[in-house]
Amino acid sequence: MIDFEHVTKIYETKNDENVALEDVSLHIDEGEFVFVLGHSGAGKSTFLKLMLMEEKPTEGVVAINGQDLTRIKRRKVPYMRRQMGCVFQDFRLIPTMTVYENVAFAMRVTNISTKTIKSRVPFALSLVGLEDKMDRLPDELSGGEQQRVAVARALAHGPKLIIADEPTGNIDPEMSMDIMQLFEAINKVHITVVVVTHEHELVHKLAAKYNNRIITLAHGQIADDTAHPEVAREYAARMAERESEEVYAE
Amino acid sequence: MRFSSFTYLVGQGWHNMRANRLMTFASMGVLTVCMLLVGAAFLVGINIDAMVEYIGEQNQTIVYLQDGLTEEQTAAVDSAIRAIPGVVGVTYVSPEEVLQRYDSELQLDSRTSLAAAFADDIPFDANYIVVVDDLKNLSGILPQLLAIDGVTDLRSPLELSEVFLSLQRAITYAGYGMVGVLALVSIVIINNTIRITVFSRRKEIGIMKLVGATNGFIRFPFFVEGVTSGLLSAAIASGIICGAYYALIRWYGEHQNNITQMFGGSLVPLQEVWYILVVAFAAFGFVLCGIGTATSIRKHLNV
Repeated sequence: MIDFEHVTKIYETKNDENVALEDVSLHIDEGEFVFVLGHSGAGKSTFLKLMLMEEKPTEGVVAINGQDLTRIKRRKVPYMRRQMGCVFQDFRLIPTMTVYENVAFAMRVTNISTKTIKSRVPFALSLVGLEDKMDRLPDELSGGEQQRVAVARALAHGPKLIIADEPTGNIDPEMSMDIMQLFEAINKVHITVVVVTHEHELVHKLAAKYNNRIITLAHGQIADDTAHPEVAREYAARMAERESEEVYAE
Repeated sequence: MRFSSFTYLVGQGWHNMRANRLMTFASMGVLTVCMLLVGAAFLVGINIDAMVEYIGEQNQTIVYLQDGLTEEQTAAVDSAIRAIPGVVGVTYVSPEEVLQRYDSELQLDSRTSLAAAFADDIPFDANYIVVVDDLKNLSGILPQLLAIDGVTDLRSPLELSEVFLSLQRAITYAGYGMVGVLALVSIVIINNTIRITVFSRRKEIGIMKLVGATNGFIRFPFFVEGVTSGLLSAAIASGIICGAYYALIRWYGEHQNNITQMFGGSLVPLQEVWYILVVAFAAFGFVLCGIGTATSIRKHLNV
Protein backbone atom coordinates (compact mmCIF):
# COMPACT_ATOMS: atom_id res chain seq x y z
CA MET A 1 0.00 0.00 0.00
CA ILE A 2 2.52 2.60 1.16
CA ASP A 3 6.25 2.25 0.52
CA PHE A 4 9.11 4.50 1.52
CA GLU A 5 12.43 3.39 0.09
CA HIS A 6 15.52 5.15 1.44
CA VAL A 7 13.68 8.44 1.54
CA THR A 8 15.65 11.54 2.46
CA LYS A 9 14.14 15.00 2.52
CA ILE A 10 16.34 18.04 2.93
CA TYR A 11 14.88 21.54 3.09
CA GLU A 12 17.41 23.98 1.77
CA THR A 13 17.37 27.58 2.86
CA LYS A 14 19.78 30.31 1.82
CA ASN A 15 22.60 29.49 4.19
CA ASP A 16 21.40 26.37 5.88
CA GLU A 17 19.98 22.98 5.17
CA ASN A 18 17.59 21.10 7.36
CA VAL A 19 17.42 17.33 7.15
CA ALA A 20 13.78 16.47 7.86
CA LEU A 21 13.91 12.80 6.94
CA GLU A 22 17.04 10.71 6.65
CA ASP A 23 17.13 7.40 4.80
CA VAL A 24 13.66 6.30 5.89
CA SER A 25 12.39 2.95 4.59
CA LEU A 26 9.10 1.41 5.56
CA HIS A 27 6.19 -0.57 4.20
CA ILE A 28 2.55 -0.28 5.28
CA ASP A 29 0.24 -3.05 4.13
CA GLU A 30 -3.26 -2.67 2.83
CA GLY A 31 -5.76 -2.76 5.70
CA GLU A 32 -3.20 -1.87 8.36
CA PHE A 33 -3.76 0.68 11.11
CA VAL A 34 -0.57 2.57 11.82
CA PHE A 35 0.24 5.30 14.29
CA VAL A 36 3.17 7.50 13.36
CA LEU A 37 4.43 8.98 16.60
CA GLY A 38 7.04 11.64 17.17
CA HIS A 39 7.82 14.92 18.85
CA SER A 40 7.68 18.11 16.86
CA GLY A 41 10.60 18.28 14.49
CA ALA A 42 10.88 14.51 14.28
CA GLY A 43 9.82 14.51 10.65
CA LYS A 44 6.09 13.73 10.97
CA SER A 45 4.91 16.63 8.85
CA THR A 46 7.39 15.85 6.13
CA PHE A 47 6.33 12.21 6.20
CA LEU A 48 2.72 13.38 5.63
CA LYS A 49 3.55 15.93 2.96
CA LEU A 50 5.40 13.31 0.97
CA MET A 51 2.37 11.03 1.01
CA LEU A 52 0.04 13.90 0.08
CA MET A 53 2.37 14.90 -2.77
CA GLU A 54 2.82 18.37 -1.35
CA GLU A 55 6.57 17.77 -1.32
CA LYS A 56 8.95 15.57 -3.26
CA PRO A 57 11.75 13.62 -1.58
CA THR A 58 15.32 14.78 -2.11
CA GLU A 59 16.32 11.15 -2.48
CA GLY A 60 14.51 7.83 -2.52
CA VAL A 61 11.08 6.69 -3.61
CA VAL A 62 7.63 7.16 -2.09
CA ALA A 63 4.98 4.90 -3.59
CA ILE A 64 1.30 4.35 -2.93
CA ASN A 65 -0.32 1.27 -4.47
CA GLY A 66 2.89 0.67 -6.40
CA GLN A 67 2.68 4.10 -8.02
CA ASP A 68 5.90 6.07 -7.63
CA LEU A 69 4.75 9.48 -6.40
CA THR A 70 8.02 11.14 -7.37
CA ARG A 71 7.46 10.30 -11.03
CA ILE A 72 3.82 11.21 -11.21
CA LYS A 73 2.80 13.96 -13.62
CA ARG A 74 1.47 17.16 -12.12
CA ARG A 75 -1.91 16.82 -13.71
CA LYS A 76 -2.25 13.26 -12.41
CA VAL A 77 -1.76 14.40 -8.80
CA PRO A 78 -5.47 15.19 -8.23
CA TYR A 79 -6.44 11.68 -9.33
CA MET A 80 -3.87 10.16 -6.94
CA ARG A 81 -5.27 12.27 -4.11
CA ARG A 82 -8.76 10.92 -4.76
CA GLN A 83 -7.53 7.49 -3.69
CA MET A 84 -7.08 8.79 -0.15
CA GLY A 85 -9.03 10.70 2.44
CA CYS A 86 -7.41 13.28 4.70
CA VAL A 87 -8.26 14.52 8.17
CA PHE A 88 -6.46 17.48 9.74
CA GLN A 89 -5.93 18.95 13.16
CA ASP A 90 -7.78 22.16 12.19
CA PHE A 91 -10.70 20.23 10.56
CA ARG A 92 -10.56 22.41 7.42
CA LEU A 93 -14.31 22.78 7.14
CA ILE A 94 -15.81 25.69 5.24
CA PRO A 95 -17.59 27.82 7.86
CA THR A 96 -20.26 29.17 5.48
CA MET A 97 -21.40 25.69 4.42
CA THR A 98 -23.58 23.33 6.41
CA VAL A 99 -22.32 19.93 7.51
CA TYR A 100 -24.06 18.32 4.52
CA GLU A 101 -22.65 20.88 2.10
CA ASN A 102 -19.14 20.48 3.43
CA VAL A 103 -19.18 16.77 2.66
CA ALA A 104 -21.01 17.27 -0.64
CA PHE A 105 -18.53 19.99 -1.67
CA ALA A 106 -15.58 17.61 -1.52
CA MET A 107 -17.45 15.12 -3.69
CA ARG A 108 -18.76 17.76 -6.07
CA VAL A 109 -15.33 19.13 -6.89
CA THR A 110 -14.09 15.67 -7.76
CA ASN A 111 -16.73 15.36 -10.47
CA ILE A 112 -19.05 12.93 -8.69
CA SER A 113 -22.66 12.88 -9.91
CA THR A 114 -25.41 14.63 -7.97
CA LYS A 115 -27.25 11.36 -7.60
CA THR A 116 -24.27 9.67 -5.96
CA ILE A 117 -23.69 12.69 -3.72
CA LYS A 118 -27.31 12.65 -2.53
CA SER A 119 -27.08 9.04 -1.46
CA ARG A 120 -23.50 9.01 -0.22
CA VAL A 121 -23.40 12.12 2.00
CA PRO A 122 -26.13 11.02 4.45
CA PHE A 123 -24.53 7.58 4.56
CA ALA A 124 -21.10 8.99 5.38
CA LEU A 125 -22.61 11.28 8.04
CA SER A 126 -24.49 8.37 9.58
CA LEU A 127 -21.21 6.45 9.85
CA VAL A 128 -19.85 9.19 12.11
CA GLY A 129 -23.16 9.60 13.95
CA LEU A 130 -24.05 13.06 12.68
CA GLU A 131 -27.04 12.28 10.46
CA ASP A 132 -29.25 14.49 12.63
CA LYS A 133 -26.92 17.51 12.36
CA MET A 134 -26.64 17.71 8.59
CA ASP A 135 -28.12 21.22 8.38
CA ARG A 136 -25.95 22.75 11.08
CA LEU A 137 -23.04 25.06 10.39
CA PRO A 138 -19.60 23.91 11.62
CA ASP A 139 -19.50 26.70 14.24
CA GLU A 140 -22.59 25.26 15.92
CA LEU A 141 -20.81 21.97 16.55
CA SER A 142 -18.25 20.92 19.16
CA GLY A 143 -14.64 20.30 18.14
CA GLY A 144 -15.16 16.55 18.25
CA GLU A 145 -18.24 16.82 16.06
CA GLN A 146 -16.45 19.04 13.57
CA GLN A 147 -13.69 16.48 13.33
CA ARG A 148 -16.28 13.79 12.70
CA VAL A 149 -17.61 15.87 9.80
CA ALA A 150 -14.07 15.98 8.45
CA VAL A 151 -13.86 12.19 8.81
CA ALA A 152 -17.17 11.80 6.98
CA ARG A 153 -15.83 14.03 4.22
CA ALA A 154 -12.66 11.95 3.98
CA LEU A 155 -14.73 8.75 3.74
CA ALA A 156 -17.46 9.95 1.38
CA HIS A 157 -15.73 9.16 -1.88
CA GLY A 158 -14.78 5.67 -0.75
CA PRO A 159 -10.99 5.87 -0.42
CA LYS A 160 -8.80 2.85 0.36
CA LEU A 161 -6.51 4.96 2.56
CA ILE A 162 -7.23 7.48 5.31
CA ILE A 163 -4.45 9.80 6.44
CA ALA A 164 -4.97 11.81 9.61
CA ASP A 165 -2.69 14.59 10.80
CA GLU A 166 -2.98 15.20 14.56
CA PRO A 167 -6.72 14.51 14.38
CA THR A 168 -7.15 14.99 18.12
CA GLY A 169 -4.95 18.07 18.43
CA ASN A 170 -7.85 20.50 18.76
CA ILE A 171 -10.37 18.50 20.74
CA ASP A 172 -10.75 17.61 24.39
CA PRO A 173 -9.39 14.28 25.71
CA GLU A 174 -12.69 12.38 26.02
CA MET A 175 -13.61 13.30 22.49
CA SER A 176 -10.11 12.33 21.35
CA MET A 177 -10.79 8.74 22.36
CA ASP A 178 -14.05 8.81 20.39
CA ILE A 179 -12.33 10.05 17.26
CA MET A 180 -9.59 7.45 17.53
CA GLN A 181 -12.17 4.72 18.00
CA LEU A 182 -13.92 6.00 14.90
CA PHE A 183 -10.69 5.42 12.98
CA GLU A 184 -10.48 1.91 14.46
CA ALA A 185 -14.00 1.26 13.18
CA ILE A 186 -13.08 2.53 9.73
CA ASN A 187 -10.08 0.23 9.72
CA LYS A 188 -12.38 -2.72 10.40
CA VAL A 189 -13.84 -2.40 6.89
CA HIS A 190 -10.36 -2.90 5.43
CA ILE A 191 -9.46 0.74 4.90
CA THR A 192 -5.80 1.47 5.58
CA VAL A 193 -5.46 4.13 8.28
CA VAL A 194 -2.34 6.19 9.02
CA VAL A 195 -2.64 8.50 12.03
CA VAL A 196 0.20 10.93 12.62
CA THR A 197 0.26 12.31 16.15
CA HIS A 198 2.44 13.30 19.09
CA GLU A 199 0.04 12.03 21.76
CA HIS A 200 2.02 9.08 23.16
CA GLU A 201 -0.32 8.23 25.99
CA LEU A 202 -3.42 8.02 23.86
CA VAL A 203 -1.65 6.01 21.20
CA HIS A 204 -0.23 3.47 23.63
CA LYS A 205 -3.59 3.07 25.32
CA LEU A 206 -5.29 2.37 21.98
CA ALA A 207 -2.51 0.20 20.63
CA ALA A 208 -2.71 -1.97 23.72
CA LYS A 209 -6.42 -2.47 23.11
CA TYR A 210 -6.50 -2.83 19.31
CA ASN A 211 -2.98 -4.09 18.72
CA ASN A 212 -2.06 -1.27 16.30
CA ARG A 213 1.35 -0.83 14.79
CA ILE A 214 3.31 2.18 16.07
CA ILE A 215 6.10 3.75 14.07
CA THR A 216 8.11 6.26 16.07
CA LEU A 217 10.04 8.97 14.32
CA ALA A 218 12.96 10.79 15.92
CA HIS A 219 15.51 13.09 14.34
CA GLY A 220 14.19 12.31 10.89
CA GLN A 221 14.67 8.57 11.29
CA ILE A 222 12.53 5.62 12.33
CA ALA A 223 13.43 5.10 15.97
CA ASP A 224 10.98 2.29 16.61
CA ASP A 225 8.50 0.15 14.75
CA THR A 226 6.38 -2.28 16.74
CA ALA A 227 5.98 -4.50 13.68
CA HIS A 228 9.74 -4.76 13.25
CA PRO A 229 11.56 -4.93 16.60
CA GLU A 230 14.96 -4.95 14.90
CA VAL A 231 14.40 -1.34 13.77
CA ALA A 232 14.73 -0.04 17.32
CA ARG A 233 17.96 -1.97 17.88
CA GLU A 234 19.43 -0.68 14.64
CA TYR A 235 18.43 2.87 15.50
CA ALA A 236 19.97 2.60 18.99
CA ALA A 237 23.17 1.26 17.47
CA ARG A 238 23.28 4.08 14.93
CA MET A 239 22.73 6.68 17.60
CA ALA A 240 25.43 5.18 19.82
CA GLU A 241 27.85 5.17 16.91
CA ARG A 242 27.06 8.76 16.07
CA GLU A 243 27.48 9.78 19.70
CA SER A 244 30.89 8.17 19.92
CA GLU A 245 31.86 9.85 16.69
CA GLU A 246 30.89 13.16 18.15
CA VAL A 247 32.85 12.47 21.33
CA TYR A 248 35.82 11.41 19.23
CA ALA A 249 35.55 14.57 17.19
CA GLU A 250 35.61 16.65 20.32
CA MET B 1 -17.06 17.11 -17.06
CA ARG B 2 -20.54 16.14 -15.98
CA PHE B 3 -23.40 18.51 -16.69
CA SER B 4 -24.24 18.68 -12.97
CA SER B 5 -20.61 19.63 -12.28
CA PHE B 6 -20.73 22.26 -15.00
CA THR B 7 -23.86 23.89 -13.61
CA TYR B 8 -22.40 23.68 -10.12
CA LEU B 9 -19.21 25.46 -11.18
CA VAL B 10 -21.10 28.14 -13.11
CA GLY B 11 -23.22 28.66 -9.98
CA GLN B 12 -20.05 28.95 -7.92
CA GLY B 13 -18.71 31.62 -10.27
CA TRP B 14 -21.89 33.66 -9.88
CA HIS B 15 -21.85 33.09 -6.15
CA ASN B 16 -18.33 34.55 -6.06
CA MET B 17 -19.57 37.63 -7.87
CA ARG B 18 -22.29 38.18 -5.31
CA ALA B 19 -19.95 37.49 -2.42
CA ASN B 20 -17.50 40.14 -3.68
CA ARG B 21 -20.23 42.42 -4.97
CA LEU B 22 -18.36 45.63 -4.24
CA MET B 23 -15.38 44.54 -6.26
CA THR B 24 -17.64 43.16 -8.97
CA PHE B 25 -19.44 46.51 -9.20
CA ALA B 26 -16.17 48.40 -9.32
CA SER B 27 -14.71 46.27 -12.07
CA MET B 28 -17.92 46.24 -14.08
CA GLY B 29 -18.19 50.02 -13.71
CA VAL B 30 -14.71 50.56 -15.07
CA LEU B 31 -15.28 48.09 -17.89
CA THR B 32 -18.56 49.76 -18.81
CA VAL B 33 -16.95 53.21 -18.91
CA CYS B 34 -14.13 51.85 -21.09
CA MET B 35 -16.65 50.36 -23.49
CA LEU B 36 -18.67 53.57 -23.58
CA LEU B 37 -15.57 55.56 -24.51
CA VAL B 38 -14.73 53.20 -27.32
CA GLY B 39 -18.34 53.08 -28.45
CA ALA B 40 -18.57 56.87 -28.51
CA ALA B 41 -15.36 57.10 -30.51
CA PHE B 42 -16.76 54.55 -32.93
CA LEU B 43 -20.03 56.46 -33.37
CA VAL B 44 -18.27 59.79 -33.90
CA GLY B 45 -15.98 58.04 -36.37
CA ILE B 46 -18.69 56.51 -38.52
CA ASN B 47 -20.69 59.72 -38.55
CA ILE B 48 -17.67 61.67 -39.73
CA ASP B 49 -17.15 58.97 -42.33
CA ALA B 50 -20.71 59.41 -43.49
CA MET B 51 -20.31 63.20 -43.63
CA VAL B 52 -17.06 62.99 -45.56
CA GLU B 53 -18.74 60.63 -47.96
CA TYR B 54 -21.70 62.97 -48.34
CA ILE B 55 -19.44 65.91 -49.03
CA GLY B 56 -17.47 63.72 -51.40
CA GLU B 57 -20.65 63.04 -53.34
CA GLN B 58 -21.24 66.76 -53.53
CA ASN B 59 -17.70 67.45 -54.61
CA GLN B 60 -17.77 69.81 -57.49
CA THR B 61 -14.88 71.96 -58.49
CA ILE B 62 -15.83 74.89 -60.67
CA VAL B 63 -13.20 75.82 -63.23
CA TYR B 64 -13.65 79.34 -64.60
CA LEU B 65 -12.60 80.03 -68.16
CA GLN B 66 -11.07 83.12 -69.63
CA ASP B 67 -13.48 85.43 -71.33
CA GLY B 68 -13.80 85.16 -75.07
CA LEU B 69 -12.21 81.79 -75.76
CA THR B 70 -12.71 80.43 -79.22
CA GLU B 71 -14.42 77.07 -79.71
CA GLU B 72 -11.10 75.36 -80.45
CA GLN B 73 -9.56 76.83 -77.31
CA THR B 74 -12.54 75.66 -75.25
CA ALA B 75 -12.27 72.19 -76.76
CA ALA B 76 -8.55 72.15 -75.88
CA VAL B 77 -9.35 73.04 -72.26
CA ASP B 78 -12.00 70.33 -72.25
CA SER B 79 -9.62 67.63 -73.39
CA ALA B 80 -6.87 68.90 -71.03
CA ILE B 81 -9.22 68.55 -68.04
CA ARG B 82 -10.34 65.09 -69.12
CA ALA B 83 -6.71 64.02 -69.47
CA ILE B 84 -6.01 64.56 -65.76
CA PRO B 85 -6.10 61.22 -63.89
CA GLY B 86 -8.75 61.11 -61.17
CA VAL B 87 -11.22 63.34 -62.99
CA VAL B 88 -14.45 61.44 -63.47
CA GLY B 89 -16.90 64.08 -64.55
CA VAL B 90 -16.58 67.16 -66.76
CA THR B 91 -19.60 69.31 -67.57
CA TYR B 92 -19.42 72.45 -69.66
CA VAL B 93 -21.60 75.31 -68.51
CA SER B 94 -21.96 78.11 -71.06
CA PRO B 95 -22.45 81.75 -70.00
CA GLU B 96 -26.07 81.46 -71.16
CA GLU B 97 -26.68 78.51 -68.88
CA VAL B 98 -25.20 80.40 -65.94
CA LEU B 99 -27.48 83.30 -66.67
CA GLN B 100 -30.44 80.94 -66.97
CA ARG B 101 -29.67 79.38 -63.62
CA TYR B 102 -29.42 82.72 -61.86
CA ASP B 103 -32.62 83.77 -63.46
CA SER B 104 -34.55 80.78 -62.21
CA GLU B 105 -32.92 80.81 -58.76
CA LEU B 106 -33.63 84.44 -58.17
CA GLN B 107 -37.17 83.93 -59.40
CA LEU B 108 -37.77 87.49 -60.38
CA ASP B 109 -41.22 88.16 -61.69
CA SER B 110 -41.94 87.63 -65.37
CA ARG B 111 -41.69 91.27 -66.29
CA THR B 112 -38.08 91.63 -65.21
CA SER B 113 -36.37 88.58 -66.60
CA LEU B 114 -32.65 88.59 -65.90
CA ALA B 115 -32.06 86.55 -68.98
CA ALA B 116 -33.81 89.06 -71.13
CA ALA B 117 -32.03 92.01 -69.54
CA PHE B 118 -28.55 90.61 -70.11
CA ALA B 119 -29.24 88.67 -73.26
CA ASP B 120 -26.90 90.80 -75.34
CA ASP B 121 -24.02 91.14 -72.94
CA ILE B 122 -23.78 88.26 -70.54
CA PRO B 123 -21.67 89.20 -67.49
CA PHE B 124 -20.75 85.60 -66.64
CA ASP B 125 -17.83 83.51 -67.79
CA ALA B 126 -18.20 80.02 -69.10
CA ASN B 127 -17.06 77.32 -66.70
CA TYR B 128 -16.55 73.60 -66.25
CA ILE B 129 -17.92 71.58 -63.36
CA VAL B 130 -15.31 68.96 -62.56
CA VAL B 131 -15.95 65.94 -60.33
CA VAL B 132 -13.04 63.88 -58.98
CA ASP B 133 -13.15 60.24 -57.95
CA ASP B 134 -11.83 60.75 -54.40
CA LEU B 135 -11.55 63.87 -52.28
CA LYS B 136 -8.12 62.72 -51.17
CA ASN B 137 -6.82 63.26 -54.73
CA LEU B 138 -8.30 66.73 -55.00
CA SER B 139 -5.29 68.61 -53.66
CA GLY B 140 -3.14 67.05 -56.39
CA ILE B 141 -5.62 67.75 -59.17
CA LEU B 142 -6.28 71.43 -58.44
CA PRO B 143 -2.84 72.80 -59.52
CA GLN B 144 -3.08 70.75 -62.70
CA LEU B 145 -6.43 72.38 -63.48
CA LEU B 146 -5.06 75.86 -62.82
CA ALA B 147 -2.08 75.20 -65.09
CA ILE B 148 -4.31 74.64 -68.12
CA ASP B 149 -4.18 77.46 -70.60
CA GLY B 150 -7.41 79.44 -70.57
CA VAL B 151 -8.35 78.63 -66.93
CA THR B 152 -8.56 81.75 -64.76
CA ASP B 153 -9.87 80.57 -61.43
CA LEU B 154 -11.17 77.64 -59.39
CA ARG B 155 -13.60 77.12 -56.60
CA SER B 156 -13.41 73.80 -54.72
CA PRO B 157 -14.44 72.13 -51.43
CA LEU B 158 -10.78 71.37 -50.76
CA GLU B 159 -10.40 73.07 -47.41
CA LEU B 160 -13.50 71.56 -45.92
CA SER B 161 -12.60 68.12 -47.16
CA GLU B 162 -9.10 68.40 -45.71
CA VAL B 163 -10.48 69.31 -42.31
CA PHE B 164 -12.74 66.31 -42.43
CA LEU B 165 -10.09 63.91 -43.61
CA SER B 166 -7.75 64.93 -40.79
CA LEU B 167 -10.59 64.68 -38.29
CA GLN B 168 -11.40 61.23 -39.58
CA ARG B 169 -7.76 60.17 -39.17
CA ALA B 170 -7.57 61.60 -35.65
CA ILE B 171 -10.73 59.79 -34.59
CA THR B 172 -9.45 56.54 -36.04
CA TYR B 173 -6.16 56.80 -34.11
CA ALA B 174 -7.92 57.87 -30.92
CA GLY B 175 -10.20 54.87 -31.35
CA TYR B 176 -7.26 52.49 -31.69
CA GLY B 177 -5.58 54.08 -28.69
CA MET B 178 -8.71 53.73 -26.62
CA VAL B 179 -9.13 50.10 -27.55
CA GLY B 180 -5.55 49.49 -26.42
CA VAL B 181 -6.09 51.27 -23.12
CA LEU B 182 -9.37 49.46 -22.59
CA ALA B 183 -7.69 46.14 -23.15
CA LEU B 184 -5.01 46.92 -20.59
CA VAL B 185 -7.37 48.40 -18.00
CA SER B 186 -9.79 45.49 -18.31
CA ILE B 187 -7.07 42.93 -17.85
CA VAL B 188 -5.67 44.73 -14.80
CA ILE B 189 -9.12 45.18 -13.25
CA ILE B 190 -10.18 41.59 -13.81
CA ASN B 191 -6.80 40.45 -12.54
CA ASN B 192 -7.31 42.33 -9.32
CA THR B 193 -10.88 41.12 -8.85
CA ILE B 194 -9.83 37.53 -9.31
CA ARG B 195 -6.94 37.99 -6.89
CA ILE B 196 -9.36 39.18 -4.23
CA THR B 197 -11.68 36.26 -4.90
CA VAL B 198 -8.78 33.83 -4.70
CA PHE B 199 -7.73 35.38 -1.40
CA SER B 200 -11.21 35.27 0.11
CA ARG B 201 -11.61 31.65 -0.97
CA ARG B 202 -8.12 30.34 -0.28
CA LYS B 203 -9.45 27.94 2.34
CA GLU B 204 -11.91 26.37 -0.08
CA ILE B 205 -9.25 26.21 -2.76
CA GLY B 206 -6.90 24.46 -0.32
CA ILE B 207 -9.58 21.89 0.49
CA MET B 208 -10.39 21.43 -3.19
CA LYS B 209 -6.73 20.64 -3.88
CA LEU B 210 -6.57 18.21 -0.98
CA VAL B 211 -9.62 16.21 -1.94
CA GLY B 212 -8.29 15.90 -5.48
CA ALA B 213 -10.06 18.56 -7.52
CA THR B 214 -8.37 19.01 -10.87
CA ASN B 215 -6.92 22.38 -11.83
CA GLY B 216 -9.65 22.86 -14.40
CA PHE B 217 -12.29 22.41 -11.71
CA ILE B 218 -10.61 24.93 -9.42
CA ARG B 219 -10.17 27.49 -12.19
CA PHE B 220 -13.52 27.21 -13.87
CA PRO B 221 -15.61 29.32 -11.43
CA PHE B 222 -13.06 32.13 -11.72
CA PHE B 223 -13.36 31.97 -15.46
CA VAL B 224 -17.15 32.14 -15.16
CA GLU B 225 -16.82 35.14 -12.86
CA GLY B 226 -14.52 37.03 -15.23
CA VAL B 227 -16.47 36.30 -18.37
CA THR B 228 -19.81 37.09 -16.74
CA SER B 229 -18.47 40.46 -15.55
CA GLY B 230 -17.31 41.17 -19.09
CA LEU B 231 -20.61 40.21 -20.69
CA LEU B 232 -22.72 42.09 -18.13
CA SER B 233 -20.59 45.19 -18.66
CA ALA B 234 -21.10 44.76 -22.40
CA ALA B 235 -24.88 44.56 -21.93
CA ILE B 236 -24.96 47.68 -19.74
CA ALA B 237 -22.69 49.62 -22.09
CA SER B 238 -24.75 48.57 -25.12
CA GLY B 239 -27.96 49.73 -23.45
CA ILE B 240 -26.53 53.08 -22.42
CA ILE B 241 -24.87 53.87 -25.71
CA CYS B 242 -27.81 52.81 -27.90
CA GLY B 243 -30.22 54.83 -25.75
CA ALA B 244 -27.99 57.89 -25.77
CA TYR B 245 -27.41 57.65 -29.51
CA TYR B 246 -31.12 57.30 -30.19
CA ALA B 247 -31.77 60.45 -28.16
CA LEU B 248 -28.98 62.26 -30.02
CA ILE B 249 -30.41 61.31 -33.41
CA ARG B 250 -33.82 62.69 -32.41
CA TRP B 251 -32.32 65.88 -31.05
CA TYR B 252 -30.23 66.33 -34.19
CA GLY B 253 -33.27 65.82 -36.40
CA GLU B 254 -35.20 68.48 -34.50
CA HIS B 255 -32.39 71.02 -34.47
CA GLN B 256 -31.50 71.45 -38.11
CA ASN B 257 -29.69 74.50 -39.49
CA ASN B 258 -27.59 75.48 -42.47
CA ILE B 259 -24.50 73.74 -41.19
CA THR B 260 -26.20 70.44 -40.41
CA GLN B 261 -27.88 70.60 -43.81
CA MET B 262 -24.51 71.01 -45.43
CA PHE B 263 -23.47 67.64 -44.01
CA GLY B 264 -26.50 65.75 -45.16
CA GLY B 265 -28.91 66.66 -42.39
CA SER B 266 -29.01 63.33 -40.53
CA LEU B 267 -26.83 61.01 -38.47
CA VAL B 268 -26.18 57.37 -39.27
CA PRO B 269 -29.39 55.63 -38.14
CA LEU B 270 -29.34 53.47 -35.01
CA GLN B 271 -30.52 50.34 -36.84
CA GLU B 272 -27.33 50.41 -38.93
CA VAL B 273 -24.99 50.46 -35.92
CA TRP B 274 -26.60 48.89 -32.86
CA TYR B 275 -25.66 45.30 -33.68
CA ILE B 276 -22.06 46.28 -34.41
CA LEU B 277 -21.84 47.88 -30.96
CA VAL B 278 -23.47 44.95 -29.17
CA VAL B 279 -21.37 42.29 -30.88
CA ALA B 280 -18.13 44.28 -30.44
CA PHE B 281 -18.83 44.96 -26.76
CA ALA B 282 -19.70 41.33 -26.09
CA ALA B 283 -16.57 40.16 -27.89
CA PHE B 284 -14.46 42.69 -25.98
CA GLY B 285 -15.95 41.69 -22.66
CA PHE B 286 -15.57 38.00 -23.35
CA VAL B 287 -12.06 38.02 -24.78
CA LEU B 288 -10.47 40.62 -22.48
CA CYS B 289 -12.03 39.31 -19.29
CA GLY B 290 -11.16 35.80 -20.37
CA ILE B 291 -7.53 36.82 -20.82
CA GLY B 292 -7.59 38.78 -17.56
CA THR B 293 -8.90 35.75 -15.68
CA ALA B 294 -6.59 33.28 -17.34
CA THR B 295 -3.49 35.32 -16.54
CA SER B 296 -4.49 36.01 -12.95
CA ILE B 297 -5.46 32.47 -12.01
CA ARG B 298 -2.19 31.22 -13.38
CA LYS B 299 -0.39 33.76 -11.23
CA HIS B 300 -2.40 33.77 -8.01
CA LEU B 301 -3.97 30.36 -7.82
CA ASN B 302 -0.76 28.44 -8.37
CA VAL B 303 -2.53 25.23 -9.24
